[in-house]
Amino acid sequence: MRVSLELKKVKRTGFLPTFLCGGILAASFPVINMAARTEIYLTQQGSPLQILFNANWQIIAMLNVLLVITGTCILYNTEYASNAMQKIKSLPTRAGSVFLSKVILTIFMCILILTIEAVAVTFCSYYWFETGNGFLIGLCKNFGYELLLMLPCITISLLISEACKNIWISLGIGVICVFTATMLPSDNFNLSLFPFAMPFQIFTDTNIEQVIRYICTAVAEFVVICLSELVFIKIRREFE
Amino acid sequence: MNFLLLTSIEFKKIRHSKILLILAAATIILWLPSIFNASINFNMQAEGISPENNFFIQGFMGMSWFMFPASMVVGTVLLSQTERTNNGILKMLVLPVSTMKLCLAKFTVLLTLAATQILMMTGMYYTSAIICSKTQDYNFILPALFVLKEISLLFLSAIPMITFFWMLSVCIQTPGFSIITGLVSIVPSVLVINTKAWFAYPMSYQFYVITSEYGKLAANLDTNQIKLIPWIPVAIVITIICLSISCLCFGHAERK
Repeated sequence: MRVSLELKKVKRTGFLPTFLCGGILAASFPVINMAARTEIYLTQQGSPLQILFNANWQIIAMLNVLLVITGTCILYNTEYASNAMQKIKSLPTRAGSVFLSKVILTIFMCILILTIEAVAVTFCSYYWFETGNGFLIGLCKNFGYELLLMLPCITISLLISEACKNIWISLGIGVICVFTATMLPSDNFNLSLFPFAMPFQIFTDTNIEQVIRYICTAVAEFVVICLSELVFIKIRREFE
Repeated sequence: MNFLLLTSIEFKKIRHSKILLILAAATIILWLPSIFNASINFNMQAEGISPENNFFIQGFMGMSWFMFPASMVVGTVLLSQTERTNNGILKMLVLPVSTMKLCLAKFTVLLTLAATQILMMTGMYYTSAIICSKTQDYNFILPALFVLKEISLLFLSAIPMITFFWMLSVCIQTPGFSIITGLVSIVPSVLVINTKAWFAYPMSYQFYVITSEYGKLAANLDTNQIKLIPWIPVAIVITIICLSISCLCFGHAERK
């Protein structure tokens, strides 16, 4: 696994600035929303995190998922654009290691955007609300949960990008999946386990059993998708 | 080379791109929940909208909010990336064809893709309306003339947005930036339509038009109605600016 190598590959593809700008944009959303509609949110019941997440998370999660899809499309587009994929296959490396390094790179990028968003949420809470004890722990729990729930989405969109040689097909499939995720009813547990729908879940309103169930499913989906990637490479090699 | 020939060549280039499959899959996924939840349409007394109108407009609202603009972003990626592999675009640019014409030909293809998706959407609407009429024992099918009016409104109001996306994909060379700018610009349209300055934001036009149609159909709902005066001139100016910028920038980076 060579994550630093993957980082070098994406140098001039706009991968890093995409995530950075996207993260800042998503983070600016709760700030603008709070500034514009301060009275509505200040009169609501609940902790600052609860109010902020309920008001803004749907849009932020959507931006995050779109960022992940675009990022993963870029990651594999650089490999396919000049037939680098064929060269990778002839190198003495394990087939899955490129995929895993890309997964790790994308996870790092997600940590980056979630951190930017966490800073924005902290700013909103301190500026507009009274924050009690344990605010920072709550914040870490919330964003840690969101990161875990993003794992299946990251791996499956990387798998789609690897499977499709043309960037518009992987992007198209990704866009359709995001759209499907926005249409799924949020109260149905089984349907909300769809990898692209998971990042839309909020930590604060769910009870602890439900949270554990979501985390377990997220990890399970992550492992299953990674394993199916290995199987996919093996099968594809037979047909090439 | 005349324009028609150029456009037909552009169509040939995307023949094996499977874009139609993606557009079709999007419309099918859009209508499936409407078919399963058809009975919801009978509980709309509060809004004062008839079941068949509600069935129609909910589907088209879902499409005009995210699916249709996002499909157009995918379309721009397709048109700008098909010729990047093996530097096909360089060969096109050395031909004695005006780059402006080439740009407009590609844009025409994009508009045709938009029209195709709207037609597929209409086809799927009629299919699902027939299915629901059978399952719910109620006539969901609306007259063709009304549907035609709505889909033409949708298409016309989407043109400024499509030119904006086209400009993004032509002017921004790194595909990542143009994709994410396009996709991200769609998301706030839900909020923009509630502000007074919605006419300055081309990505919200088609959604605004469909929501105001919803307001017209629902007797008890008070949604914003379209004011033609600031909107039409602004939309035309945006379209012309975006299209001229993309015509001027087309092939600029490759020729350097």
